Amino acid sequence: MAATPTPTTLRFTGSKHLIQRLVLATLTGKPLRISQIRSVSHTSPGLAPHEVSFLRLLEALTNGSQIEFSYTGTTVLYKPGLITGSAAGHGAQGGVIRHEVPGVITSSTEAGDVSVDTVRTAILPVFKSFGIERDLELRILRRSNAGRDGKGGGGEVQLVFGHQVRLPRTVHLMSAGRVKRVRGVAYSTGVAGANNARLIEAARGVLNVVAPDTYIFSDVSAAPFVPAPTRENPAAKRKTGLGFGLSLVAETNTGALYSADVASPPAGGEPPEDLGRKCAFQLLEAIEQGGCVSSVAAPTLLMLMAMGSEDVGRVALGREVLGSEHVLQLARDLRTFGMSGWSLRDGDEEDSVVVSIVGKGVGNVGRKIT
Amino acid sequence: MAVSLGKRKRREVSTVESEHGELDDCDARALFQRAFEAKFQPLEVTEKLPSAPETVLLGDGFDPDDEESVISDWGGLSDDEAQVEIVKHDAMDAAGHQLAKQEQKAFMSSKPPTATPHAPSVATQAASTSAEDEAETSNLKHDLALQRLLKESHLLDHSSTKNSAVVPEGKKTMPLAHRKGIKAKAAGRETARRKEAVENGVILEKVRTSAQPQKRRERGIGAPSIGKFRGGTLKLSSHDVKSIERSRLQGGSKGRRR
Repeated sequence: MAATPTPTTLRFTGSKHLIQRLVLATLTGKPLRISQIRSVSHTSPGLAPHEVSFLRLLEALTNGSQIEFSYTGTTVLYKPGLITGSAAGHGAQGGVIRHEVPGVITSSTEAGDVSVDTVRTAILPVFKSFGIERDLELRILRRSNAGRDGKGGGGEVQLVFGHQVRLPRTVHLMSAGRVKRVRGVAYSTGVAGANNARLIEAARGVLNVVAPDTYIFSDVSAAPFVPAPTRENPAAKRKTGLGFGLSLVAETNTGALYSADVASPPAGGEPPEDLGRKCAFQLLEAIEQGGCVSSVAAPTLLMLMAMGSEDVGRVALGREVLGSEHVLQLARDLRTFGMSGWSLRDGDEEDSVVVSIVGKGVGNVGRKIT
Repeated sequence: MAVSLGKRKRREVSTVESEHGELDDCDARALFQRAFEAKFQPLEVTEKLPSAPETVLLGDGFDPDDEESVISDWGGLSDDEAQVEIVKHDAMDAAGHQLAKQEQKAFMSSKPPTATPHAPSVATQAASTSAEDEAETSNLKHDLALQRLLKESHLLDHSSTKNSAVVPEGKKTMPLAHRKGIKAKAAGRETARRKEAVENGVILEKVRTSAQPQKRRERGIGAPSIGKFRGGTLKLSSHDVKSIERSRLQGGSKGRRR
């Protein structure tokens, strides 16, 4: 261990792409230091609660991680440890890591996060092309929309990632194909199930004309009842995360997936019809962008390709997907973390760009850094 | 709903009336044509005969806006203009909502949804070309041949016997009948395999005599180490004699039995 040279700490600034950088640091085992996190904000400088939650989750998944905050939380130093996963004896009981994250929201949010349904139906299938397909599960134990002020829910999910491979397979996704079916989930949490029917009708009104094989399923559940202690009544509970939303996924004949997500705003005031139509248009927009991967799943796919076996993988992306801020930033960050660069060329279909990435063979091995 | 029903009824009546005239006209034309063709040669009719406009309504939900459009269409009807057939699908198709239960179950389960079984077959059909087919069939043939070779020869026998030798159940305590059954089954399997090999003309490995340690002879205290002492005489069986001779031939230390 003493012979291992201490890798240089990578330095980043700003709160943007923080989680992506933390993930890359954990996977490559390189320590990083992020400074000036919301340092200009007077009201809430430093790390946001969800980012702290994510750091705690990383700590639960790894062994030997070191996390240091500055006094104001505007600087964080993260030295990743060994990824233990659900190995017994390292915080996992019975192959399961239980880690409580406060205020889980399972619906999509106004900040642009996707819902759990989209993760399950549009992002998890992406792993299939890398040869990771068995025992993947995302169990939604309790649904919750965003809380009253747009943050904090009471949801509960379980992610089972049972298929472990040494290295993700090299992928060649070149043809996007044509949309053959549209599926979706409409969810109502703590509100009438009629909202679902209205969402579905509006979305189908738009989509049925272009895609006859459109089915949207409905899920009605009660709102989570979370403790909300007050001074008068310490045992008080209240319902949180009421609302409804819609997640749509279009599948092409070659297996490419496009998704769209809409949820009712926490303040309310938008009828389900408008939201349903908005979601349908959003889906059509995602389909229009083209490529084999939508912008939602693109970071996952590109990251896996960069980490994969040392071979050239190719993927056709829509021009707009490739040009989006988070994909470009991912390319830069991957470069910073020592991954190989991307080569681009025009694709066969119009508005598509073929991205070729040489994997680095990082694979499924954590590296202990001391 | 009642209002729209009433309206529809009125419209239908008018349609039927106008259709009557139209149909009569059609029939007359057809009659003329038939008569003409009987006398001369068949006519080349490239242009379709103008048919009565059809407005097919699917589903119950019929909204009055459509009705108006239909009526306005009706006003613009002319004989020599090919009418566009309008088929209107209702967005709310009651039957369409009732998706197969299993598909709902498959999609709404916690696992990522998988494609329906018929979808991949279509994809493979589209992808497969004749050259690929050929390669596929030859591969299959080779595969079968390899399987047959592996099954009938004893290339992998050593490892397989090794594997079969590991019987974790044997270590456990179990009823005698079970153990006997297991042994009998294994023996039967082995004989069947040998028989099959002989029939196929395959030479198998030699039957290895069980390398079990020689059973200790039960004898009482003070009994001789060889033979039986009965009635004041030591009786040596031929087997005992052979063993003594063998031990002498091989040398004392080697031939010692215990």
